[in-house]
Amino acid sequence: MKKATVVSAAVVLASSVMLSACGTSNTATEGGTSSTAPAATAAPAKVEPITLNLRHTQVKDTQKKRLAMLQDVVKATEANVPGLTITLDGVEDQVNRFEKLRAEMAAGNPPEIFDLFGGTDTKDYVKADRLLDLTPILEELGLKDKFYSFEEFTVDGKIYGIPMAGYVEGLFYNKKILADNQIDPPKTWDELLAASDKLKAKGITPFAMAAKDAWVINMMMNTMWVRTAGADSVAGFLNGSKKWTDPAVVDGFSKFETLIKKGYFQEGSLALAYAEQQNKFSAGGAAFMFDGSWANTPLIDPEKSKVASDVGFINFPTVGGAGDGLINGGWSNGYGFSKRMDEKQLAAAKEFIKQMYNETMQKRQLLEEGMLPAMKLQDTSGVQPIIAEIIKVSSEAKGTFPAFDASIQTKVRESLERGMQELIGGRTTPDKLTAELQKQQDASNKEDGQK
Amino acid sequence: MCEHHFDHGMVLDSSLRGGKGSMNKTLKNPLAYVLFTVPTLLMYLLFFLYPLLTSLRYGFTQWNGISHAQFNGLDNFVTALHDKYFWIAVKNNIYFILFSVFIQIPFILALALLISRVKRLSGFYKTTVFLPSILSTAVVGVLWSFVYHPEAGLLNKLLEAIGLSSWKHVWLADEATAFLSVLVTNAWQWIGFYVVLVLAAIFAIPKDILEAAEIDGAIGWKQAWAITVPLIRPVLIVIVLLSITGAMKALDIVFVMTNGDPYGITEVMATYMYKKAYRIGEYGYANAIAILIFVFTVILTLIFRFLTRKSEEVQYG
Repeated sequence: MKKATVVSAAVVLASSVMLSACGTSNTATEGGTSSTAPAATAAPAKVEPITLNLRHTQVKDTQKKRLAMLQDVVKATEANVPGLTITLDGVEDQVNRFEKLRAEMAAGNPPEIFDLFGGTDTKDYVKADRLLDLTPILEELGLKDKFYSFEEFTVDGKIYGIPMAGYVEGLFYNKKILADNQIDPPKTWDELLAASDKLKAKGITPFAMAAKDAWVINMMMNTMWVRTAGADSVAGFLNGSKKWTDPAVVDGFSKFETLIKKGYFQEGSLALAYAEQQNKFSAGGAAFMFDGSWANTPLIDPEKSKVASDVGFINFPTVGGAGDGLINGGWSNGYGFSKRMDEKQLAAAKEFIKQMYNETMQKRQLLEEGMLPAMKLQDTSGVQPIIAEIIKVSSEAKGTFPAFDASIQTKVRESLERGMQELIGGRTTPDKLTAELQKQQDASNKEDGQK
Repeated sequence: MCEHHFDHGMVLDSSLRGGKGSMNKTLKNPLAYVLFTVPTLLMYLLFFLYPLLTSLRYGFTQWNGISHAQFNGLDNFVTALHDKYFWIAVKNNIYFILFSVFIQIPFILALALLISRVKRLSGFYKTTVFLPSILSTAVVGVLWSFVYHPEAGLLNKLLEAIGLSSWKHVWLADEATAFLSVLVTNAWQWIGFYVVLVLAAIFAIPKDILEAAEIDGAIGWKQAWAITVPLIRPVLIVIVLLSITGAMKALDIVFVMTNGDPYGITEVMATYMYKKAYRIGEYGYANAIAILIFVFTVILTLIFRFLTRKSEEVQYG
């Protein structure tokens, strides 16, 4: 009896060693990058499977190249960590940010690696103790000083997320339409109005605008109230030193209303989803479009765009306010990691960081996708002209300010989103809208104070 | 084919008869009943009662879904009473019910009566009418969003082509038409299903009643109104009931087509609840809204049952 057990145990052991040896050599040949042969080690340990789930947001047709880059990183990571399988799970950006990931964080079961936004999102999840502190890993890999800024992912001096790319938001314009109508890219608010007026008179839509997704409207609105009221306005709303109803803030909203009342926006905008403003612009149907630098990809893709070679980018015109010359920008989107990982998963995640965040990848995403680098690059040659233009605009800006939704409370954001749609629908006025916002701001500030 | 089925039936029947004695003995043991119902009861507890009770509990808390829920009494319900966007949603649910009951159901009835009279190709009509109900709501929603598209939409293009450009609308974002457009889409999807139900009831009416009616001079629309409709009343009542409960819990079609936008004018209670929970993270408030939906639906259903309590059964002959 005893003998039989010993024999069978030996058989099991032997076969498992043999199997694992097979497994290791297999991954080595497949991966090609790992140079150490498994036979070199005295007793090859059995390779235990490690799995990591990775939530990304590269699901749209316009993000194919980004997905390909991610897949390459995943492949390289898997090759370097024996037994590792990374399962990719793609979810649409907004759905992931505001619904799926939020619900998973609530339930405590987020994927091990996930697309994460800095600011309020990161703070909330840190408060709930769901995020892995990445500071030691970044130090160990020597990455900490290679990035422009971890500011939006930093809570109490610890870093909880690594930005993939930076962004700026500004005004894309159609060079051909402007030239055909003898219009120079507008530098001031009055020039912008004059240009829009001239275009509108000729039957050309001045602004491509899709307002069904309310956050799209607020990109431009954010810049406009910062223009009139200054970059510290959002911080002021939060600590009570400034109010939405301050004349300088209301002025920004009134300027926006002017654009609505004069009919400068794309028709039926309230029924159009985000992509449709890019469709309108890239079909040559509008002269201007306020959007983020990330939007350049579909605009200069000759397969999708009729205006591929005519796209220009400028900072939003000055209005004679405290925030003239500033640009909305930052490094707020990247990857976060779950606190609930075992030793092996952690090691694998570290390898992922190594493969994902390096000069080669950053350069590649800059060249292929026009994503502004998050890491300081030595060499930025060979970029698309529009990217060069965007980089130039952002370096010439007087300074950057973060998007308001990185710090403002969710309820205030929701209130602003609904209010802006009402403004476009002609249901409210800048005065009523800002009064409503201030009411919500007071309530939300009070709630925060109670916590 | 028929014969084959018949054979099968015989075999089944005899095998059942063979096992009858032991079966009866088992059924006398109360433990057997318990054993058979336990799995179902457990599922019911786990997936229905437990969530219902937790929802009840969270309805009285302030909870962002991540940190600990704090009891706040009736605050959420007071907030709901004063929340004008919630009442827009309630109003839309009421429109939904009114549209279903007073526009959709008469239309269903008329269509069913028409098809029941058609002698040729009635199968074709039945299938055609039923077709939209087999599509998923997501598909229907996306399909009709294209129809309503302000620039490239079929509807606006059609109006343009027949010279009615002034009738063009931004259908899904115009206050006057947004919710109505959703209701029409929903009607398009479900009318066929109900038509088939009504048709089944019409065909179940014994021929001799109709013949007797004809001899008495009730023919055509007169017969339909005086004989057929009263006889299918029970089915109509069920359809009204289904329409009410369906309208109260409507979510998917609105979610796909407008998501409550623009500025909340096409919101229904369920989408508003969803938005409060998963987009804004006010899980406590969202649970309170869920409770309100439940309460409203129960009240409406009870009222309806009360109004129709005497007309459940129809006795032929």
